[in-house]
Order: sequence, then C-alpha cells, then structure tokens
Amino acid sequence: MSRREGAGADATPRRRFSLLAVLDEFFFVFAGVAAVWLAWLLLTETFQLGWWGIAMAVAFWVLIAYLVLPRIHRVLTTIYVPDYFIGRTRTSDGLLGDPINLALTGEAAQVHQAMRTAGWTQADAVTLRSSWRIITSTITRRSYDEAPVSPLFLFGRVHDFAYQQEVAGNPAKRHHVRFWRTPDDWLLPGGARVDWLAAGTFDRAVGFSLFTLQVTHKIDADTDIERDHIVSTVRQHNADARLDILRDFSTGYHSRNGGGDSIRTDGHLPVLDLRALPVGAEQPASAQLGSDAQRAEVRND
Amino acid sequence: MTESVRKRSAIEPAEALLGRDAPLPQIRKRPITTTLGATFVLWRAVAGVLWIAAFGLIWFDEAHADGIDHPTAVTVFWIIAVAAGIGVLVLLLFAWLVWRGSNLARILVMAALTFSISTAAIAHFAGAEQITFRTTLIIVALDILVLLALSSRDARAWSRQTREHGRRA
Repeated sequence: MSRREGAGADATPRRRFSLLAVLDEFFFVFAGVAAVWLAWLLLTETFQLGWWGIAMAVAFWVLIAYLVLPRIHRVLTTIYVPDYFIGRTRTSDGLLGDPINLALTGEAAQVHQAMRTAGWTQADAVTLRSSWRIITSTITRRSYDEAPVSPLFLFGRVHDFAYQQEVAGNPAKRHHVRFWRTPDDWLLPGGARVDWLAAGTFDRAVGFSLFTLQVTHKIDADTDIERDHIVSTVRQHNADARLDILRDFSTGYHSRNGGGDSIRTDGHLPVLDLRALPVGAEQPASAQLGSDAQRAEVRND
Repeated sequence: MTESVRKRSAIEPAEALLGRDAPLPQIRKRPITTTLGATFVLWRAVAGVLWIAAFGLIWFDEAHADGIDHPTAVTVFWIIAVAAGIGVLVLLLFAWLVWRGSNLARILVMAALTFSISTAAIAHFAGAEQITFRTTLIIVALDILVLLALSSRDARAWSRQTREHGRRA
C-alpha cells in the first residue's frame, strides 16, 4: 500500500511500517478481544444482580452491538473484503453497504445545482450538534430536512456529500443518495469514465437489524425505484441534463446491504451527464462542504 | 510495457494489511473517540484522587489494628500518597496530551491499558481474582472502553495527522 503511495507526492511513505503502526494494529485487535471478554463478564454478571441485571443486560447489548461486533467486523473485513470497486459501498465496519446505482459526469457545483433544483436537500455532516438535533427533532416530532446520513465508504473514503428528501410527516422514511467523486483517471468496469458515483436508497422504516443487532434504517429492497426517482427528479427540473444508461451493469448483484436488508435491481446504471448545466446562476452555499471533502481524496487508488 | 511484468506472489503479504486504511480523509475536528479517550484518562486521574482519599480514611485504622505505630503509619501514608499523587499528575498530563492529539501519548496510554487489562485477565483466568460488579468490573470495563476508543480508526487518523502536520509546520 505504501509502495503504491510512494509514487505520490507524500515524502513519508515508509513511516506506515513504523513500530507505531504495528502497535496500532495490535491494540486495535487486542481491544476487540478484550471487549469480547468484557461482554462475557457483563453477561455472567447479568444473572447475579437481580433487577440490576436488566441494566447490565442492556449494557451487554450496547457493548456487543455497537463496540464488539463492529470491531470484529472491522478486523475481519480488512482481511477478506476486497478493497477495489465491486459496485457496492461499505459501511464503517467494512461490511457491504448500499449498492452503487447511479453515475454522474460534471463538476461538483453542477451536481449540487442539479440536486437542489430538483428539490433535494443536502444532508448535514454527522456532528455532535446534528446528532443532538436528530434526537430532539425525533422527540418533538419536528422535521429535520438536513438530517445527516450514516457514513458509507467507497474508494476507501466516506461520501463527499449526500442529498435527501423527507417524506411528509414521517421521520423514519426518506429518500437519500450519497455521492463520491471518482479518483482521477478511474474508469468504471467496462471502461466508461464518470466523475461521480452515487448510491441512492429509500429508508422505509427504522428497525432492528438482526445482522448487526443495531437499530438502523431499513431500506427498500427495490433500489431501482429510488434510482429512477432521483434520475427523474433531476431530469424533470434540469432541462440540460442528459441521460445515458449502461445496461445490465450490475444485473448479477442481488444481495444484502450491511444491515441485512435484501436488494433487488435490474442492474442498469444510469449516467447523468450534467456537463451542460450552467453553473454560477445559483451558487449553492453548501458547495464548499463538498469541495472540502474532495480535497481529502485518497492518492493511491 | 511487457518489460515491467515480472513474477510476483499471488498472495498479498500480511504486512500490507498493516497500513492499509491509513490514508483516511483529513479530519479537521477532533473525533469523539479521542475526546472520550482523554476524558476516560481524566476520570482515572479523578478516581486516583478518590483512591488516595479513601486510602487515607481507612489506612490509619488498619495500621493501628496491625500494631503499626502512628509516626510510621504517617510516613507510609505520605510515601504512598505522594507516589499515587505523581501517578495522578502523569494521568492528567496524558489526558491533556491525548486530547491535544499526541500520537505517542495515545500509544503509551494504550500500552498501559493493555498491561492493566492483561493483568486483570490473567488474574481472572488463573482464578485468583473474581471480577464482579462489586469489585473491579467497572475499572476493567473502563480500561477496555478507553482502549476501544483510542484504537479506533478515526482517533488514529486524527492523531497521526496532527503528528505529521506538526512535523511539517
């Protein structure tokens, strides 16, 4: 990895193999093992504390679902999930996430403009503040149009930005689509060059995932509906947007996402060409956010 | 082009996994795991102060019961209290350094935690020490949680990046 990166501008490629890096990996794995042991301790305590045992059982579940399993997944998926493009995003634990079902060409500003014109709202970044706002808006049942989306990874990095549409009066349901800028000179399988890849799915409910034991959004299995919804809203409101379709791009992919939801698709990959869109007519205030994320682009893919 | 094709191993060397997801995006804000880790270390320091206080409360009775005379008991108390006090100061220093984003401090704290957890685990599995809610479960749990937080990807990325930025500056 650092051998590949060594070709780049980074003058310190060798440091990746330093003792500190090795120690880091060791602590990463050791912490996972220790957490398993802690879970076991909590579980055995659960049966000995009477009513307090219920609190311990909850602590056990939180520990397992949010700390132990993610850490184990992280360690294992680092080893066996390939790191190249396979048409799927990955969750922060390294599991397979939502499918890539949309591609775009054009500048960041054009993408932002196309989405905003089409009635989409850019999602906030996940921060303490936005997390708190999710909680308060859920309790008070107020709408939070810019609610952040969970991070999904492609090309080894989190999405550059995400857009969403609320479903009236229902915070559990929403349309959302995440965007990643493709690395320079990167080609899709089959050879097409696109600037952006996107994963659009529809959250249909909040539920309990038997896969990760976490409370997550359940997505609609038919990802084509959401994909076509994005494409149609963008085309409807942007006369200059052109559409190509890579037919049967991912027809073979019928599987589950990281939360265990199944996915069905006809496999077509629409490529929205936004290069003809006039930029500057409406400079999106949030375009800055997207370009910040792009600056952090990985250099080795 | 054909010149560059040479035989190479089909299996990725294990060491390639080591730095694999090192090029994480630049995080400009301190990740919550780093804050948590520093806070936990701070708590350990506070717990140390409480421990000294609790020790002071019971030590003199214990010493008296064991037949240790008062001046000796006072001397022993101060030796232990000063040693523990230095420990508390070191913990405070490390909490601050971790919070600032020092990679070395993070590694050292994790090493100490690993030692502490291993000791508890060995004692536990050897049957010498019962770890229950009433004894040391809280401490072991805190140690493990801090280790999880400090070894997480974003805490690592952030402290590495501050280290590298610091060198460049």
